[in-house]
Amino acid sequence: MKVVADMSPRMSRRGFLTATAGAASAAAAQPLLAACGGGGGAPAKTGAASTSLLQRILPHYQPSSLVKPDYPSVNGSSPAYLTYPSRLVKTVSEVPGSGGSYTGITPLWGTIPSANNPFDQAVNKALGATVSVSPANGNNYATILPQLFSGNKLPDWIQVPTFWAPPLNFGEAAATRLADLTPYLAGDKVKQYPNLAAIFASGWQAGIWDDKLYGFPSYTAGFNFGYQLYYRADLLDKLGIGTPSVKSMNDLFDLAKEVNDPAAKRWALGDIFGYLYQPFDYPNWMLDDKGHLITQYESPGIIEAMNWMAKAIKAGLVHPDQVAGNYGNGVTEFYSGQMVIVSDGSGAWNAADAQKGQAANKGYKRASFDFFTDSGSGTPRMSLEAATAWTSYLNKRLSPSQIQEILRIGNYLAAPFGSVEYHLLNYGVAGVDYTMTAAGPQLTATGTKYAGSAVSTYNFLVSPNNTVYNAGYPEVTKASAAWGQRNAKYGYQPLFYELNVTVPNSLSNANAFTPFVQAGNNIMYEVARGRATIADYQSTVANWKRNGGNKLKTFYEGVLAQQKKLGSA
Amino acid sequence: MTDAAAPTASRPRANVVGSDSVIIAAADATAGSRRRRWWTRLRRDRTLLIMTLPALVLLAVFGYAPMLGLVMAFQDYDLYDGFLHSPWVGLANFQQLFTDPEFWHSFWNTLALFSVQLALFFPVPIALAILLDSLLSRRLRGVIQAVVTLPHFFSFVLVVTIFNEVFGGAGLLDTFLRSHGVTSPFDFMTDPGTFKFLVTSQLIWKEGGWSTIVYLAALSAISPALYEAAAVDGAGYWRRLRHITLPGLQGITVLLLILNLGYSLTFGFEQMLIQLPAVGPGTAQVITTFSYKNGIVAGNYSYGAAAGLFLGITSVILILGANKVAHLFGEDGLYRK
Repeated sequence: MKVVADMSPRMSRRGFLTATAGAASAAAAQPLLAACGGGGGAPAKTGAASTSLLQRILPHYQPSSLVKPDYPSVNGSSPAYLTYPSRLVKTVSEVPGSGGSYTGITPLWGTIPSANNPFDQAVNKALGATVSVSPANGNNYATILPQLFSGNKLPDWIQVPTFWAPPLNFGEAAATRLADLTPYLAGDKVKQYPNLAAIFASGWQAGIWDDKLYGFPSYTAGFNFGYQLYYRADLLDKLGIGTPSVKSMNDLFDLAKEVNDPAAKRWALGDIFGYLYQPFDYPNWMLDDKGHLITQYESPGIIEAMNWMAKAIKAGLVHPDQVAGNYGNGVTEFYSGQMVIVSDGSGAWNAADAQKGQAANKGYKRASFDFFTDSGSGTPRMSLEAATAWTSYLNKRLSPSQIQEILRIGNYLAAPFGSVEYHLLNYGVAGVDYTMTAAGPQLTATGTKYAGSAVSTYNFLVSPNNTVYNAGYPEVTKASAAWGQRNAKYGYQPLFYELNVTVPNSLSNANAFTPFVQAGNNIMYEVARGRATIADYQSTVANWKRNGGNKLKTFYEGVLAQQKKLGSA
Repeated sequence: MTDAAAPTASRPRANVVGSDSVIIAAADATAGSRRRRWWTRLRRDRTLLIMTLPALVLLAVFGYAPMLGLVMAFQDYDLYDGFLHSPWVGLANFQQLFTDPEFWHSFWNTLALFSVQLALFFPVPIALAILLDSLLSRRLRGVIQAVVTLPHFFSFVLVVTIFNEVFGGAGLLDTFLRSHGVTSPFDFMTDPGTFKFLVTSQLIWKEGGWSTIVYLAALSAISPALYEAAAVDGAGYWRRLRHITLPGLQGITVLLLILNLGYSLTFGFEQMLIQLPAVGPGTAQVITTFSYKNGIVAGNYSYGAAAGLFLGITSVILILGANKVAHLFGEDGLYRK
């Protein structure tokens, strides 16, 4: 619903907030090494590496499974648990830290907790080191990063989401400012840190820049995508519609018309444009009918999507606040029933959502449409995101012994669901941050302010693969896990999947896609609101192409050719 | 009449300066005495000079030092090379800027929005100040002043939210109209045609009261004896207003008008940025938001800096030009000539 300004058009910040992260099921094997990533030993530094080189850089995946999930992973969907394990397993036998003191910065969308709070103290005691994380406001995190990088004021450990890496020219940042973790973690070396080894290799791939491993992954998931389409199941029931069957964009339009009633202060839709790349199938980069490389902005699908959105807005089906770009109240408006159908990341579907929604509206029930196609025929497709966008990095100034201490700490932080360590990091101290109930651990008021499952701080440094568990709301877990199992099969890897491409400085302006990405200040948004025409849109695209866009495309064609060559080699 | 309103307090000060220059002329014999004279003046004024020091430091640190960064407008700035090592590109950024239709669009938007705001907003605090000044009950005056001043302390985020709650498509007014059978009520918040008036009314609501303060101060400086004398001579309310009150406000009005022109190109960044999505860049993109979008958001710092530098230089020209015009008309302007 609320797209954070300046983010990649695809990446909802909620995408990651899946209630809890934890043990990976061995079933979630990652079929993505074929796609290549990292950096090239090739002449042009593009980021493409051969499969064998990648194999040498990437930490080898060593699955760990403490608890058997109730909903195992299917085609990469996150494993889900209905109950909390009664017996927790200790995965780290020794105190990981050796008394070191480290600073960290992570983004936070919410109230910033006070420094050195009881939860931090408990975690630091268990770590045997002082890791003081200062969360910074997520809404302007993208604008403080350049200052930290250019002024060389980086903390010891920092979260840099990959969708905010392009303006930082990150290949250069990594080489000049960040510690290379390849010598510590590549291949079998990761096995000294079993919890780090249990993170999917695809997660680690997100932290590879120009042939070297720099980043720790957080919230890694095999089936990772930007948006899904949610609806208020209880409202549709009340209106006598029941479980809707939406198989095409026309079905969606008809359903929207049926539930729309502005006089009763009920609008059918939020601004769902962010989701429409699924039915109209336009990934970031694709090949056109003739086999030429095009960006999503040149695709016929995006034009149809704009036209559809414009039609819906004109028909009065979209909530006025969403039309006006006031996304701030989006969640409240969904809870109060002013909006029936919205798009959001997979992380929106959790216990906290159910709790808040039911507080506003007793029968509140969130449900999600299965993926569909625009025409209603053919198999739905969903272009996948990299296994994670959440990557954290170490400062280059750290000594090897400090890096080793941090890796041991990281091994603690990456402990999976069902472990003692995971329990501490997500729920804190019994009696202070949470109370144990029959339904599982319930956060107290203190816990809601500080504990990891409510406030991501340590979890943004490194955390285990995603799992789904919603304390006290097993029905939410059931619905979302079943949805994931049903829909994961539609996911496909788009071009340049899992590849951190390093664009030359001269192309970085075109690579920022400025006319298209800023929330509420981009041309697609204008067309959808009827203030610009498709012709205006096309001239904006032509303008972008003239001002470096064509060169950028040529560069990416080179990357593609190189990938093909290396892949076949 | 007009002269009587000029602040009398400045007169003796002017005399001091005058007599000072006499001393200077007399003592201008040798270089040694000149140095002594400089030293004497420094000693004489040291208290005043020390008092200005914090303000000067503040200005140097936050006003002048960051200006060094403007060199990036002439560079292809790279975060990691800094402006010491980034390659020079001459005027390339400006060339691109002046050929960018979006830039010119935001430039004209800035001028259009500013002219409307200036024309409609500027007289409001003057009228309000005169009105408040004419209230006899001090208590009532205090209450009204507090009420109209309060919104100044709200941020634009809050102001826009309040406006949206009342005038937005799902706001109080439209909800009321819909429940009374109006199917598609007017949405003030998203209409590009009336946007100029919307932002002006927001400004009046937020700043109208606060801006009266300086006028009220000027009004209180007008001697009551003038009003009494005029009343005795038989002048009615309107004549007193025209010949005593308004001339009394003239100096400060001109000063504020000039200063406002200086802000004309930088005004309303927050207000516009928040409402950009509602009416679109076609109406609400101003130079500051353009610079923010291309510089900070897209990471094209050099381009953003070029737009910013253009803005700064144009603002200075506007201020100096307006000041010159004020002097031509015999006003004080920013400083006395």
